[in-house]
Amino acid sequence: MKSPRLKSLTCAALLPLLMPSTAALASEFDGYTLRVKLIGGAQYEPLYAEIPKWEEMTGAKVEVLSRKNHFELDREIKQDIAAGTLDWCVGSNHTSFAPQYGDIYVDLNGVIAGDVLGKFDELAIKNSTVGGKLVQLPRHADISNLYYKKSLYEDQANKDAFKAKYGYDLTPPDTFEQFKDQAIFFADAPTFYGTQYVGKDEAITGRFYEMLVANGGALFDEDWNPTFNSEAGVRTVMWFKELYDAKAVPAGVLNYLWDDTGLGFASGTVALNLDWAGWASFFNDPANSKVAGDIGLVRAPKGTSGKRSGWSGAHTFSITETCDNKEAAASFVTFLTDHDRQMIEARAGLLPTRTQVWDDAKAEFAAAGNDFLVTVFDTYAQSMAEDAFTPPLIDTWIEVSNEIWPALQAAILGEKTPQEALDEAAEEARIIMEDAGYIQ
Amino acid sequence: MSGPLKRRIVAVATWIGTFLLMLVICLPGLWVMLTGFRPNREVLAKPAIWIPEQFNLNNFAKIFGFGAEQIAIPVPAYFTNSLVIALTSTAIALIIGMSGGYAFARFRFPFKDSIFLGLMLSRTVPGIALSLPVFMIWSRIGLIDTKLGMIIVYTALNIPFTIWLIDGFFRQVPKEMSEAAQVDGCTRWQAFWKVEFPLAKSGIASAGIFAFLTSWNEYALASQLTRSTDSKTLPVGLMDFTAQFTIDWAGMSAMAVIIIIPALILTFLVQKHLIAGLTFGGVKG
Amino acid sequence: MARTKSPYKTRLALTPYLLLSPAFLVLIFVVALPLVFSLYTSFTGYRLVRPDTLWNWVGTRNYERIFADLDFWIAFGRTILFLAIALNLEFILGLGIALLINRITWGQRTLRTIMMFPMMFSPILVGYQFKFIFNDNIGVLNNALQSLGISDAATPWLVDRYLALGSIIFAEVWMSTSVFAILLLAGLFAMPRDPIEAARVDGCSPWQVFRHITLPFLMPFAFIAMTIRSLDVARAYDIVDVMTGGGPAGRTELLWTLIARVGYDNARMGQANAMAYVSIILSIAFTYYFFTKLVAARRYMGGAA
Repeated sequence: MKSPRLKSLTCAALLPLLMPSTAALASEFDGYTLRVKLIGGAQYEPLYAEIPKWEEMTGAKVEVLSRKNHFELDREIKQDIAAGTLDWCVGSNHTSFAPQYGDIYVDLNGVIAGDVLGKFDELAIKNSTVGGKLVQLPRHADISNLYYKKSLYEDQANKDAFKAKYGYDLTPPDTFEQFKDQAIFFADAPTFYGTQYVGKDEAITGRFYEMLVANGGALFDEDWNPTFNSEAGVRTVMWFKELYDAKAVPAGVLNYLWDDTGLGFASGTVALNLDWAGWASFFNDPANSKVAGDIGLVRAPKGTSGKRSGWSGAHTFSITETCDNKEAAASFVTFLTDHDRQMIEARAGLLPTRTQVWDDAKAEFAAAGNDFLVTVFDTYAQSMAEDAFTPPLIDTWIEVSNEIWPALQAAILGEKTPQEALDEAAEEARIIMEDAGYIQ
Repeated sequence: MSGPLKRRIVAVATWIGTFLLMLVICLPGLWVMLTGFRPNREVLAKPAIWIPEQFNLNNFAKIFGFGAEQIAIPVPAYFTNSLVIALTSTAIALIIGMSGGYAFARFRFPFKDSIFLGLMLSRTVPGIALSLPVFMIWSRIGLIDTKLGMIIVYTALNIPFTIWLIDGFFRQVPKEMSEAAQVDGCTRWQAFWKVEFPLAKSGIASAGIFAFLTSWNEYALASQLTRSTDSKTLPVGLMDFTAQFTIDWAGMSAMAVIIIIPALILTFLVQKHLIAGLTFGGVKG
Repeated sequence: MARTKSPYKTRLALTPYLLLSPAFLVLIFVVALPLVFSLYTSFTGYRLVRPDTLWNWVGTRNYERIFADLDFWIAFGRTILFLAIALNLEFILGLGIALLINRITWGQRTLRTIMMFPMMFSPILVGYQFKFIFNDNIGVLNNALQSLGISDAATPWLVDRYLALGSIIFAEVWMSTSVFAILLLAGLFAMPRDPIEAARVDGCSPWQVFRHITLPFLMPFAFIAMTIRSLDVARAYDIVDVMTGGGPAGRTELLWTLIARVGYDNARMGQANAMAYVSIILSIAFTYYFFTKLVAARRYMGGAA
């Protein structure tokens, strides 16, 4: 499926056609107070500075009940479900978390006009749908591609040495096999590392999952029996383990999360970094990063099946079933994801979910002479269109993940063989899936 | 004639030595406070930058909303909440603790030891096990995200320790003194306020500082029971610096400075009473 | 003990209970009631995201599951190890600091405030602080070791099998040693001078004085500190959760991190509460042990402290 946004910048001149439908009706929700729970954090906050505009347009007030990171917000929402305190209307959500929450969120089909939904990427809408219900409206998307330190690949001595050792030309990796070779080739611990990976929590489960798929494996078969302890699963774990054993990654990676890998690449001591687009402007900012001006970017590598890894998710907004004014809530989430709002987020490097915004943002970057961000958007657009897939949209995803990642760590550290570790995790995962009623 | 001089030199040397040792012990904490005045880029650099190239108040400016990039963190609200919650719960815990400590120090009653142990054990319940049930009860009676709700929880948290400390201090006040006062015509109540309370005052002050520090720094329960600027405390506010993928460590350190300084000043001020309270036992010995 | 006659004798029987009633009221409300609730849920298949499962009685299945779960018992054992090492280290270091500061007469107020400095740090902050100090790549510790030329390796403090547990113990000890130091200092202040002088006159060495006079006198204070610390040691959860989250591969998994993950992330509150009950029994055992030691030491000292 080829998306129109790939067709270059021809439509760049088009003005934003979309305005929230509520714009015309000032004071539509006069005196109403909309209670919301939003994800907080530096990348997310600029959008919330726009909220007063919506208040002005509609006459409503927005009361932000909490602004926390997603793991904290997740805990809070679970408590709300438990205590029956869902006395708010709009909540930030995420495609990976959404299936856990059962029926607390409304189906947005019908609540939000079809023509508005039509402006979103088809895939983004599809991934936001759980059990046939569109429980969330995507705000921005997330997928990883491979950043690399360009100068390393232009150095003739590196090229010669690499060719001599591995028998093929040194170019940015196209497969995970090459990725591994090159990471080991560049590494010189503890001053320089070939790459880094996130080593705990859902983060490493996600990486494992996308590589498993790229290597031709699957987490579950069609009857929800765990199948990740397959030969492909073992091969995938070995990729992590070989990098670890070769000291091509810092020994601390198993405690790393996204901030560690991002800051590591920015410190100039890492050759390759598979990461999301949100870092792009940070990496290329000389005030923050030592690799500014020296960054290349290619699509995420292919696995042995020839498929690229493409673990993808989206930050979203949902409306509760208990909301007392769903029109106001719908108007609010429509506003926060409209064209102009997504442009604001795109400028920070967040990937839009509206087709039009991709082109407009790219045109703006090009006009400002920011070739790097143009490359970033081109690369990410392509991977969003061709490679993206979500984790299984099941309510037990986090629980299964909590069985998988300690097993991966145990295998990487050599406490168990990859086969043993995966077998045990698969057995635990089976119990979880049985308890949840997926396996009869 | 060099005797006193020599002794003084030894004393000064001991002081300096101890001071340096304390600094080494405090080093991890001092590093946090220094980080608050430096930019992330320098703090997280590799190779390390040991001599700060930039040392300024930018992080604080950002927190208070003078910077361009970050939305202000509502520090004044957090600060007020923390202060109100910590002070009120400390005061209540002290009153309840005095009453309970007095009961244990001055009366004999059935099951005294078991009751005492039972009170102490109420503190062993990990916050993580309490947080959900407390949350559910609090939400039923509208205490979620209120200062009152936090005050009640912290009072409960501090009661066992407060009773214990105050019990110890009352016990050091000779019973005969209060009895003498009663013989002189005071009621027991008057005897308490005129004789026992003044003598145990310092002990109460030290129990107070422990209770205050516990409430001021508590995170696990506050993170569950507070939601908005109506009740969020400073330690919970630290999490405002963590986002999905990043931690603004320099910003968090600056916030830490804001949390630590008042507690440090208060401790220094109460220190005199702490000394008095602690030396009281020596008077008795 | 002979009690002088008091005109209030008749009311005496009720007075202590009256005085204790506010404490009871608060504790019942905040601790006992919630505990009853979680005790009940530990016998149900309660899942946080499905409120109706609260009525799903499963008997002792949660307990059977955790008793058969090797990971749980490893975490259980590790928690005991963590407590034993941390509490003993805190005692020894606290004693050393208290003895040192006790010798200072001038400027002691300042030193004592500095001594209490770590107590100003919220556990959550201590967690982040040591996460950044022990980071293997950009952490201050490795940077310092490398700059000083002591080591050129990037030691993975938070990953290595032994160092990881050591690192979280270090953080816990750093945060809590002050509590020991200040209570032991209180003991030193309360200490009578005469026996020490007498022993010195009799020709005892400083070590003998310390071993046979100072230390026994300090023991009640040490046990007070131990008891107090084992009461609220569960707040180490904040530290461990931030520093390692129990990982990698469960190497720093303590009961509290396990309970939080099962209860909230996996939303299996029933099972988590069963674990919590076992962990409460552990805390009670520790507290009870130190408490009886304290009572014995007090009796030995004839009621001091």
